[in-house]
Amino acid sequence: MNDASHSGPKKIEDIEIDYDKIDVEAVMDQVKQVAAANPLEPIEPPPAASPAPPPPAAPVPPPAPSAPGLKAVLKDKLLRALRPFAPVVRLLGLPLHEDIQATIKQLDQTNRRLDALALETPVRFAEVVAELEKVRDRLNDRMSDLDRTMEYVKLLHHLDHNIVVELTKLRIEFETLRSKVLILEKDLDAGVQRERILEKQLLS
Amino acid sequence: MKIAFVVQRYGLEISGGAELHCRWVAEHMSSHWDVEVLTTRAHDYVTWADYYPAGAETVNGIAVRRFSVPVPRDRDLFGRRQQVVLEEEHTEQDELDWLEAEGPTSPDLLSFIRENEAAYDYFIFFSYRYWHSYWGIQAVPGKAILVPTAERDAVIDLRFFKELLRLPRAFIYNSEEERAMIQTVSGNGAVPGLVVGVGTEVPAEADGDRFRRNHGISKPYLLYLGRIDENKGFPELFTFFIRFKKETGSDAVLVLIGNSILPIPEHPDILPLGFRPEQDKFDALAGAAALVMPSFFESLSMVTLEAWALSRPVLANGRCEVLRGQCRRSNGGLYYDNYPEFREGLKLLLGSAPLRRALGDNGCRYFQENYTWDIIEEKYLETVRRLGQEP
Repeated sequence: MNDASHSGPKKIEDIEIDYDKIDVEAVMDQVKQVAAANPLEPIEPPPAASPAPPPPAAPVPPPAPSAPGLKAVLKDKLLRALRPFAPVVRLLGLPLHEDIQATIKQLDQTNRRLDALALETPVRFAEVVAELEKVRDRLNDRMSDLDRTMEYVKLLHHLDHNIVVELTKLRIEFETLRSKVLILEKDLDAGVQRERILEKQLLS
Repeated sequence: MKIAFVVQRYGLEISGGAELHCRWVAEHMSSHWDVEVLTTRAHDYVTWADYYPAGAETVNGIAVRRFSVPVPRDRDLFGRRQQVVLEEEHTEQDELDWLEAEGPTSPDLLSFIRENEAAYDYFIFFSYRYWHSYWGIQAVPGKAILVPTAERDAVIDLRFFKELLRLPRAFIYNSEEERAMIQTVSGNGAVPGLVVGVGTEVPAEADGDRFRRNHGISKPYLLYLGRIDENKGFPELFTFFIRFKKETGSDAVLVLIGNSILPIPEHPDILPLGFRPEQDKFDALAGAAALVMPSFFESLSMVTLEAWALSRPVLANGRCEVLRGQCRRSNGGLYYDNYPEFREGLKLLLGSAPLRRALGDNGCRYFQENYTWDIIEEKYLETVRRLGQEP
């Protein structure tokens, strides 16, 4: 199906595709629908790398004893018959046995870790709480210090302000007094001049 | 302006995503800044063992200063510590121990950064999850810019990364999805960050027919580029492709270019070519029906950008948010969440040359609008310029 023209949507294998504006997401939605609609054909199972191990020999349930001792006799005969195969059965069951052992060992290690954590966690939690309380106390002390410092700074600001006010008042008073002094000097000069003139007049 | 790029490995032979990203950016920005790279002597990303000589050298015109990793990574120890921090209840010390094991642990590199902070205007750290970024950013937080190259994996949720991701002055993200993920995890929305990505070095000429002739491929092929391991979406891609072939009878071939640490199935239409030279890689892209990107964890996916630079459509793993977002934004690729969607998407791509052409053209346009080098360089310059204007 090699369609040479691209104009407009085309259908391939029940999937509509617009070659002028391919939208991969839209194409994939259709592909998924087609894939879901086509059932998977059964496939041959992959060839096994090695034959599956037979289950380990289990005791065969004995037949109803027709006479006392028959069960034991049959069991004995069966075990004898299986005895030559015992090493093979054990060998084939070995990987499974090792897996089980490894799993048990891992579970044991996990349990031990959980136990250790269960013992350790409250202790560490208490330590952390104690540390946090110490830190909180230190913080409280620092906050008190900070409050006292802030009050002191406020007082200093008030003092500052009052000093500035007083200084300003003093300056105003100083200026006033200076003006008065200047006026008095002028008056004094005028008085001295007047005295000289009067003296001249008296002597002449 | 003197800028230091701090990255876990650096060298012409190193093709890892973040390292290559750093090298390309450093080389391009050297035309604007006085660039120096601070890195380790490591070549191997698994052990960080010393390989290059210590001290200063010049690589492609860039001054590089290398520092030793005194204790290579012990994979078993790292595996055990990773299990503790990802699967068990743990402390911050466990996370720091994991970081020590993750490496690359280079005290000399960290000392150099601390002692020479004044000599550099900024430090651009690559990859948030490694030792050099964690301690380096804390040493110079006022001058640190981070290119996180973060993927959606369990490590991003470790508690100590939450604090780290608030420290840098700025971020340079690879994608919108990466930015959203990091901001969600760390609450670092106040830290400025641009979505930049990286350009790519596409050769002037890429010939698909040459690739086909050289490797005897006559049928349409799907191309994968990169490392073949579980994080990159294998062996799921093998399972899907083999099943697709069986169910549809398609004659398509899956071509793999890159080294593999997983066994590759024996199949007549799966063609592993191993590591190939750059020109061969681009020839392969030019001749491919589509690039397939099955990775679960990507921060940007440089090969996807390379495919779009060559107008090739992409079929990506939709469970990777970055790949899904890039396909939607570019309209340059399809994506799948499971096998049925892979089947239908691949049938659609292989069945329609006009669709492949239209997706490829969209991808190319998206690449030209966002990932050419002049745009990338301008965004780096803008990031540093904005920081310079901050009080």
